[in-house]
Amino acid sequence: MFEFLFKYPATVFSKGQFVLLGAWPVWALGLAIVAIAIGLGWHVRRSRGFLTGARPVAIWLLETLLAALMLFLLWHPAISIATLRPQQNIVSVLIDDSRSMSIREDGKTRLEQAVSGLNNGVLDALRKRFQVRLYRFGKDLERIDKTDQVTGAAKASRIGDGITQALADSSTLPLGAVVLLSDGADNSGGIDRDTIAQIRQRQIPVHTVGFGKEKLTRDIEISDVSLPARTLADARLAAEVTVRSFGYAGQKVKLAVRDGGKVLASQDVTLKTDGAPQTEQLQFNAGIAGAKSYQFSVEPVAGEENTGNNAITRLVNVESSKPRILYMEGEPRWEFKFIRRAVEDDRSLELDTILRTTQNKIYTQGFANQKEAEKGFPAKAEELFVFSGLVIGDVEANYFTAAQQELIREFANRRGGGILFLGGRATLSDGGYPHSPLAELLPVKLLDRKETFHRDQATFELSPLGRDSIICRLEEKPERNVERWKKMPVLADFQEVGEAKPGAVVLADVNAAGKKKSPLLVTENYGRGRTALFATSGSWRWQMLQDHTDKTHEMFWTQMLRWLVTDTPGRVMSSTPKTVFADETKVPLRAEVRDKSYRPLSNVRVEARIVGPEGSAASVELNPAPLEEGVYTAEFTAEKPGSYVTEIVVKPPDGAKPDAEDLGRDVIMFRREDGVAENFRVAQNRELLEKLAEQTGGRYYTAKDMAKLADQISYSEAGITTRETKDIWDMPVVFLFALSLRAAEWLLRRKWGVV
Amino acid sequence: MRLRILIVASVAILGCFTIVQAQRGYNPFHDDDDSPAPMPPDASEKTEWAFARLIYPSGRFYGPRGYWTIDSPKADRQFSLGVRRLTRIHTRSKEEFVSLDNDDVFKWPWLYAVETGHWMLTDENCKKLREYLLRGGFLMTDDFHGSEEWEVFMAGMSRIFPDRPIVEIENHDPIFHVLYDLDERVQVPGIVNYPFHQTHEKDGTVPHWRAIYDDRGRIMVAMCFNQDNGDAWEWADSPNYPEKFASQAFRTGINYIIYSMTH
Repeated sequence: MFEFLFKYPATVFSKGQFVLLGAWPVWALGLAIVAIAIGLGWHVRRSRGFLTGARPVAIWLLETLLAALMLFLLWHPAISIATLRPQQNIVSVLIDDSRSMSIREDGKTRLEQAVSGLNNGVLDALRKRFQVRLYRFGKDLERIDKTDQVTGAAKASRIGDGITQALADSSTLPLGAVVLLSDGADNSGGIDRDTIAQIRQRQIPVHTVGFGKEKLTRDIEISDVSLPARTLADARLAAEVTVRSFGYAGQKVKLAVRDGGKVLASQDVTLKTDGAPQTEQLQFNAGIAGAKSYQFSVEPVAGEENTGNNAITRLVNVESSKPRILYMEGEPRWEFKFIRRAVEDDRSLELDTILRTTQNKIYTQGFANQKEAEKGFPAKAEELFVFSGLVIGDVEANYFTAAQQELIREFANRRGGGILFLGGRATLSDGGYPHSPLAELLPVKLLDRKETFHRDQATFELSPLGRDSIICRLEEKPERNVERWKKMPVLADFQEVGEAKPGAVVLADVNAAGKKKSPLLVTENYGRGRTALFATSGSWRWQMLQDHTDKTHEMFWTQMLRWLVTDTPGRVMSSTPKTVFADETKVPLRAEVRDKSYRPLSNVRVEARIVGPEGSAASVELNPAPLEEGVYTAEFTAEKPGSYVTEIVVKPPDGAKPDAEDLGRDVIMFRREDGVAENFRVAQNRELLEKLAEQTGGRYYTAKDMAKLADQISYSEAGITTRETKDIWDMPVVFLFALSLRAAEWLLRRKWGVV
Repeated sequence: MRLRILIVASVAILGCFTIVQAQRGYNPFHDDDDSPAPMPPDASEKTEWAFARLIYPSGRFYGPRGYWTIDSPKADRQFSLGVRRLTRIHTRSKEEFVSLDNDDVFKWPWLYAVETGHWMLTDENCKKLREYLLRGGFLMTDDFHGSEEWEVFMAGMSRIFPDRPIVEIENHDPIFHVLYDLDERVQVPGIVNYPFHQTHEKDGTVPHWRAIYDDRGRIMVAMCFNQDNGDAWEWADSPNYPEKFASQAFRTGINYIIYSMTH
């Protein structure tokens, strides 16, 4: 239809330049239009007859438009466009040969649809005008002679790499365009900016032809699982599992996480609207230290088109380290004793406490080295920063010197530690915190008055966000957990605080007779670390008012303190962007190195020692990242599928004493998988294909539109081109427009009875 | 005839009682078995810690309410004054009497029981005390002397913990060092020993600091056997009661409280 009205395909208009070929200058056209508009105005005014009001103006407007159109045509309008010279340019045709192209839809695989489309005229049409280079690609690009050489068996598809290799293959040749036939299911997570920039630089349009349904009819897929790469032994992990389903809305399925064959946790999930990603939280215990491979899966349902995407694996390094927490308490109180008892059996935490027993005496517990504790609360960064977490009990703000207050702030901000503030009669608003730098660290605003601490019974009320928090999970099943909290004994006391700060998360409120509900348990991220407030000192009642076999008090405090330190970084923090690399061989390594005061450490040597499958070993030097101080990066090629253990070792700078010790080390793990990614996101990724075409000056075609490809591909700035001028004065749409102007005037005159 | 026998018998019994009482010696302090003390003005203050005195059945009559009241409330209040003055513990000036007949005992994780050589605990009492201690409660027993009272004490304690041994607390145990170093301890005598030519009662010549530990090596029950810290607290304000005994009693009590709040 477009071509019937406008004579040329839309590409001509989008890519070409508008020109006026008439001999007279453009300003003359403007002048002529103005002159004729004035003349017609004078004429209409003179002979308006019975026409009054806006009617003569409408008539004048229609006549002027028609006259202007005629004048415009006299100036000879045309489109100037670059077209590829016949038989002098190359067109590369890339066929996606990955396994997802073997999915059968409507009786034919996607690959068969692509091949038959090419063989039924498209290839011939292209060959008439261009030299055609045919390729197939999966993980790598391979040139083929005939379309029957595709197999649909490649374990992965890398669109970006495929195009880059095709461009390189024709780098010295006049490449006019790239035609990509694919379902858009790319396993490398999309096409990176560099690849797009490279294509744009050569001005080569990539025309994409999409195959496959954009939505599957019946499928359940675990699209993603968000899980920390490292945690502590026995820690409670909360995995955010993203599930997408088609054709099963409202159906219940079982979502489970397994370690080996053992089910660690499972829950029933009701599937939501087709295609809508739904996130479910699955909590489970990390178990003993070691490299853990957790498999998250949904049981296959009858009639599912693809069951290969029902499970996904994540790797977690369960560390055997024992982070240290310093608990500073201002006076003997029951909360102190029972917190100590609660975490006493936790093999993943070390709780070191300093207690002010009298005005001038402290009593310390937990310290392996008593010298460390002699001076009381640390006054130097290197002394405080050996701890991963900090608990501040009933301690007034001015007990800490100004330097110590700044150190506490830096503990969260620079060191990345976790700080928990407890309620008490001499802390928070009653302890001078509102006017101290410590107020900034609190996740709530403090009331600017005293007597906020009350030794009155109060109820712990779990908030909606608290229900999903790993700190507050006392029961596996979310609904049972909520019920469990309702049955918990009352708190012995509570402290009033103001509202939560923006960005803070209120996990629980406190409810006491005669008092307004107030935030009780609040968490917040602060700098590189995190802070929390538990505005009571009366949770010990959970221990004393429940049977001695009940472990809820221990569970709460273990989870609370683990939350405090689990994400606290060490002096050497290494990472990879993800823990499982599906059909990807390039593994970026990153290490952040800090000194004892946790300031970025430059001028050191950072080495990665990698042990891979079958005992293969490699060593990679990490180089300083140009814009990030203390950050070192490298790329490692993991050829073989399997698990890799990487030890990052920080060595003294060149020139240091030969016997100088290593400055620190860290261990990370990742895994390479082959042939798994192709089972995921198997529906056509039209968005990716459209964006690729749009960003490179090409066009997206459906399988049905594919026949038009050969005609439209010619318009390209790449390769050897010639400029063509295409007249547009004789487009049918121009004639129809002129006719409609005349007809409109006639109809109006008829209506107004002046004809 | 019957009336004569009754009169003679009554006189004889009264005479014997008088002779027995005379053997106890003159008591210059004892005005009343309850040892009254003025009600402090801030008695109703809500605090972290209060002197929690265990109410227990004792069978034999002693004083208006039973053996558990001995030295109270003066001892309780004077000791609380010391705790308040010498530590940072938020301390109530008035004592708390804690019964085992309800669950209030679980709100007082430190308990003091006096004259436990006379307690006659019911099965329910034993069960509740056992649960209290296993949850994290701490019991200090005091003012019981000699083998006979030990046997009575054990008759109750062995029903609370039939499976746990009672051991002497070693000098290096934190309970003797948590605030004050109590390596060198003496027998703290009761007021009955005035003028303190001897410090023991009955056959309890050697003072013992004994304990029952939990599975993690923490003291649950601390027994001050053959000593009377309660009297030392009660009469600490008297120039006639030797300072060294009163000081040790305060230090022992405070150490026991702080230990119970840290372990």
